[in-house]
Amino acid sequence: MGGFEDDEPPAKRARASSVESANLTDCFSFSKSANPLGSTMARPLPSQGKEVMVGSKGVIKREEFVRIITKALYSLGYEKTGAVLEEESGITLHSPMVNLFRKQVIDGHWDNAVATLNKIGLVDENVVKSAAFLILEQKFFELLRNDNAMGAMKTLRSEITPLGVNRKRVHELSSYIISYSPQQLFLGFSKLGIDSSNSRLKLLEELQKVLPPTVMVPERRLENLVEQALTVQRDACYFHNSIDGLSLYIDHHCGKDQIPSRTLQVEEDGELLLKHTLSGHGNPVMMVAWSPDDRQLLTCGVEEVIRRWDVESGKCIHIYEKPGLGIISCAWFPDGKQILSGLTDQNFCIWDLDGKEVDSWKAQRQSKTFDFAVAKDGKLIISMHRDSAILLLDRETKQETLIEEDSTITSFSLSEDGDFLLVNLTSEEIHLWNVRNGPIRVNRYSGHKRNRFVIRSCFGGSEQAFIASGSEDSQVYIWHRATGDLIETLPGHSGTVNCVSWNPANPHMLASGSDDHTIRIWGVKKPSLKRKDVGSSSSNGIHANGNAHANGFVHQCNGNSSK
Amino acid sequence: MGLLFVESLPGPRVFKCKFCRVDSASPDAIVSKEFRGRYGRAYLFDSVFGHFNYTHLYSCLHVNGVNVASRVNVSLGPNEDRKLMTGLHTVNDIYCSCCQRLLGWRYEKAYNKDQKYKEGKYILEKNMMLKEGW
Repeated sequence: MGGFEDDEPPAKRARASSVESANLTDCFSFSKSANPLGSTMARPLPSQGKEVMVGSKGVIKREEFVRIITKALYSLGYEKTGAVLEEESGITLHSPMVNLFRKQVIDGHWDNAVATLNKIGLVDENVVKSAAFLILEQKFFELLRNDNAMGAMKTLRSEITPLGVNRKRVHELSSYIISYSPQQLFLGFSKLGIDSSNSRLKLLEELQKVLPPTVMVPERRLENLVEQALTVQRDACYFHNSIDGLSLYIDHHCGKDQIPSRTLQVEEDGELLLKHTLSGHGNPVMMVAWSPDDRQLLTCGVEEVIRRWDVESGKCIHIYEKPGLGIISCAWFPDGKQILSGLTDQNFCIWDLDGKEVDSWKAQRQSKTFDFAVAKDGKLIISMHRDSAILLLDRETKQETLIEEDSTITSFSLSEDGDFLLVNLTSEEIHLWNVRNGPIRVNRYSGHKRNRFVIRSCFGGSEQAFIASGSEDSQVYIWHRATGDLIETLPGHSGTVNCVSWNPANPHMLASGSDDHTIRIWGVKKPSLKRKDVGSSSSNGIHANGNAHANGFVHQCNGNSSK
Repeated sequence: MGLLFVESLPGPRVFKCKFCRVDSASPDAIVSKEFRGRYGRAYLFDSVFGHFNYTHLYSCLHVNGVNVASRVNVSLGPNEDRKLMTGLHTVNDIYCSCCQRLLGWRYEKAYNKDQKYKEGKYILEKNMMLKEGW
């Protein structure tokens, strides 16, 4: 009965005989996937096997391992179990001297605590002194708080100062005695907190940091180790695109099947989901923008007016215009309360929802590309400056920064966190720029085809770890954002794919619009077992990122109408 | 059709597609005016040109030191081997990307040694162009 074959990570190992530990029995799930520490772990029985090392690689010391488990049990609140484990394994969490020390600190028996400190058997004298300093400092403050200034001074002089450490702090402490006022004391006690038992626990934590970990096991050590392992797995997951969190039972590994790769639905000209037809514009509609709450739509006619629509009713709520001038682009502010627009005379104009003009300024724009973006906090406005340059305007500091590219820019889009800009170029490359720190170009993506049209690209997937783009070869292209590798090309459309939109709520869904007059919805090959979206989120999801998506659709309509 | 992306050349003198009037090529890139296309006289253009003698400059030239592409709004067809008056060449037909009309061709490869200078350059037919800015 010696060695069980088991595959789960060591953190959840437990003895078969620990009856009390109800929550530890789930360790018995045998999963078949690879375990970083190997597949066989010897599990010695209580009375046998005092092997010093555990784990297949023999790098884990039994004593350390049991102690951090015991510590985790205590901090989770399972006092009884912790005690049982200490007894059964014969490995105590803290030596008796250390236990005494801890008790003395909690009870406030400072002198005893310092005495015990010296008996613990610490090798490094500096450590002893630092720990003693902390204890005596606490004693000092508590004496002061209890209005015992004489006692405090005595402590400072005869006990703290002779230690010969941390002179600066000693001076600070002496100043507390001199300038003695309740408020200052209170401030001086900021690290003590209001109630002394709380502050003593904090002292214990501080002591834990000073004393070597073999003496007092650091707080949350086991949790930290597990988190480290999870972080390594997450970072190594190339195709990571899931909505669920990481499980401890199996190593996390997303396969390529997490990326949308098959067509779920093909819609022609919105016949299936046609909700409303919004009429009212006199000129072709060049730009469409969904409000941040997905309930309203802004549409902009070419050199005409901006109309705001309510999506539910299909009614036009407001018209924004500037007499004598035409508007060529529009965007929402992230708070949904203001609207930004670009005018034909190269001015920008900001309205609030009622139509009151809030701000306007002239920009030197010499480009016909009307792409716009407002960064999350509403303070950064991103627009075209020249054929090969993008202007970043900080509204507060009035500072203008330029992103200079080496070929002509056809379109751009902003990431959800407002920190990155994806720029499409005529040279058939897509460049990723960091606009928060920089601007600096961080990556390039290529492989798709662009010759005649405006092709749009977007961020997508879990944590926006992927880039998707349309292409003139009728395929959708998907790249891995961090490495720039092309991971998928999706055939299916029979015409240029003008734009793509990755569902911000569902990382497994992608929509694309094409010259073949269809919109395709792409999903993953296997249906996901657990879908967190609610009800009709599929249609909402596409619409939520409808900016790029609807633009493409609208562009098709525009093309038709101009013929 | 999708949204066409129409580029423009610095000018002030440009050659435009006669039919849809988008910019096609810049006269600064002309190498020779004595060529013949399918339908008559044609000009040979270089593929890029330095743009240093004009006062109105794109500052990206200063910063990056690149040359401006001399042709815009054109699409290339596939490689084809053709026997021209001057010998066998591999050419790509050039179409206006907006109206898709045939404007000329580009020399991909020349098989005679004395024709090698044409490689990478292209021909636009004179009667498919209109001049602007002269």
